[in-house]
Amino acid sequence: MSASAQGIPFRANTIKALHDSALRAAMSNATETFAIKRADAVSAVPLEEWREHASSTRLQVLDNLSYYVDLFAKNATRAGAIVHRAKDAQGARDLIASILKDRGVERVVKSKSMVSEEIHLNDYLRREGITSVETDLGEYIIQVAGEGPSHIIVPAIHKNRRQVGELFAEKLRCEYSDDPMVLTAIAKKVLREEFLSAKAGFSGANFAAADSGSIVVFTNEGNGRMCTTLPPLHIALLSMEKMIPSLADLPTFMRLLPRSATGQILTSYTSIITGTRGPNESTGAKEMHIVILDNGRSQIVTGEYREMLKCIRCGACLNACPVYRSVGGHAYGATYPGPMGIVLTTLLDGMEKAHPLLDATTLCGACGDVCPVKVPLPRLLRRLREERVERGFTPTLEQQAMAGFGWAVKSGTLFSLGQKAAGVFLPIGSTLLKDGVLGRMPRPAAKTFTRRVS
Amino acid sequence: MSRDAVIELFMTNAARAAAEPVRVADHEGFLAAVGQIVQDCPSVFCPEITEKERAALTAVQSECRELDYRKATVCIDEVLGAIAESGSIVCASDSGHPIQAGLLALHHVAIVPKENIYETLDEFFLKWKDSPPTNITLETGPSRTADIELTLTIGVHGPARLSIIVV
Repeated sequence: MSASAQGIPFRANTIKALHDSALRAAMSNATETFAIKRADAVSAVPLEEWREHASSTRLQVLDNLSYYVDLFAKNATRAGAIVHRAKDAQGARDLIASILKDRGVERVVKSKSMVSEEIHLNDYLRREGITSVETDLGEYIIQVAGEGPSHIIVPAIHKNRRQVGELFAEKLRCEYSDDPMVLTAIAKKVLREEFLSAKAGFSGANFAAADSGSIVVFTNEGNGRMCTTLPPLHIALLSMEKMIPSLADLPTFMRLLPRSATGQILTSYTSIITGTRGPNESTGAKEMHIVILDNGRSQIVTGEYREMLKCIRCGACLNACPVYRSVGGHAYGATYPGPMGIVLTTLLDGMEKAHPLLDATTLCGACGDVCPVKVPLPRLLRRLREERVERGFTPTLEQQAMAGFGWAVKSGTLFSLGQKAAGVFLPIGSTLLKDGVLGRMPRPAAKTFTRRVS
Repeated sequence: MSRDAVIELFMTNAARAAAEPVRVADHEGFLAAVGQIVQDCPSVFCPEITEKERAALTAVQSECRELDYRKATVCIDEVLGAIAESGSIVCASDSGHPIQAGLLALHHVAIVPKENIYETLDEFFLKWKDSPPTNITLETGPSRTADIELTLTIGVHGPARLSIIVV
C-alpha cells in the first residue's frame, strides 16, 4: 500500500535543523541543563514510590474516564462554573469563540496551554476578529515571532538571547538588548497593561480534581494567576484525561511534575481554582467556562496505546531524548514534539500523517526511564513502528531491502557471501562517498562476528 | 515532628526557594519586622481584614498607604498558612482577601500564623475534602522565569521579592 503516503516532512526538517548551529547550541545547552537539574531534584526522594503511586492513580482515572469526567463536570457546575464538552478541535474552537463574541470581547489574555496549541486556537480566534495575547514570556516571544512552541514547557527554547533581543527591537520598537533581565522587563511592561485592561482570561489546566470540580494551574511567572483572577471572565480548556480523582491526590503530582520538568521542588505558583467568586470573596472570575476536549481521547483510552493518556506533560522525555536534543521541537512538525509527541501525534492525527515521526526515535529507552508517571514510551514507540510496517507506511526502498535481507539470511551461503561482499565494497564506497551516509558508516571488522564466536 | 521543627523546616525551605522568611517572638518584634521591610516604600497596600493586618498597618506611615492594590508596590497581608515540605505560603480566597494583590505588587509581605504551618502537602490538601474556596494559591518564592536561554530572571509578572513573617 501507500509507501508513498505523504506525511510530516520529518527528514527534510531534520536536515534543516542539523545545519542550524544556533539551534543546535541552544538545544544542547537547554536539554542538558534540564536533564541535570531533574537528576539533582529526584536524587534524594523516594522517586520510584512516587512514580508507582502516580501511575496507578492515572490508570485508575483512565479505567473510569467517563465517570471522572462526569463527576468533575457535576462538581464544577455546583461551584458555579459553566461546563461545556467538545468532541473535537472545531467544536472547542467554536465554543470558545462564541463565548467571547457573545460578550463582545475582542481581546483575551492567555496563559500557556498546550491543548490550545493542539486545536490551533489563536489562529482561529484571529480569523474571528479576536486577539489573544500570550502572556507566558516564552509563549509571548514566539507569538511576537509568529512561530509555534518547540518545547512543551519552555516554548522558546530554540532561541538565544540575541535572537530574542533582535526580535523585540524589530517588533516592539525598543532598544536592542541581549540581557534576559532587560528583555523580561520589556515584556512585563507590555503585558501588565494587557492584564489590567483584559475583559477575559484564558487558561489551560495541569490537572482537574473530580471530587471538587477544581482546576489546577502551575506557573512560575504569575501570568496564569493574572489571567485567572483579574478579568471578570475566565475560560479554561482542558483535555478530558487531565482528571485526578481528588485534591488529596494532588500532592504526588505536585512533587513529580515540577521536579521532572525543570528540577524545581515546586513551581512558584500553584493555583487551585474552584468555580466562581463567592459572596464573601474578593478573588475569582465572576463567570467561568470550562471546555472539556475529547478530540479522539475517548477512543484512544479503549485501545492498546491507552497508557499514553497518563502523560502529565512535564517534558522530561523531550530533554532526555537524543533525537529531540539534536533537532529541537520544530522538526517534528506537530504540536507535541519528542517521544511523547511522536506517540500522541500518531494517535491524534493518524498514521497517514505522522508515520515519518516514527524515525525520530533510537529506541534507547531514556524517555521511559525519566517518565514520572511510567508511560511505557519505548514499548509504545516500538509497537507503533511495528504497526507502521504492518500497514505499509515504510518507504519502498526500505521494504525491498528488508525483503531482500530476509531472503538472504535464510541461506547460510548467501549470508556469508553478502558479508564478504560488504567487507570488500563498503570501505571502497565510503572512501568514494566521504560526505554521504556511506562515509559515516563504520568500517566492517576484518573478521565477522559469527566467525569470531564459532 | 514537633511544632518548632515544622516551623524551622518551613523557614529553611522558604529561604531555599528564594523567599525571605523571618520569625518574630512577640508583638514588638512583629511591628519592628514590618517597619523594617516597608521602610522607604512609597505605596503600601494592606487589606485590613485581620487583626494582624491592622496591627501591621500601624507600622506604615500614613502617607505611604495605598488603598488601590493595583497601584501599590508593596502588599502586606495575612495568609492562610504555609507548608513546611515545600516552603510555600498558602493564600486562600475564603477570608475575603483579594489574593491577586500579593501578585501585582513588586514586593509581597506575607504574615503567617505559626499554628497554621502544615508539615506536608498531603496534610494540607486533606483539609479541604471536596469543598475548597474559589481560589487557593500556593506561593513558593518570588515570580521567576527561565524562558530566555534558561537564565533565571526573578520578578516576571508577579513579585520580585517575597518576605514572610512567621508570628
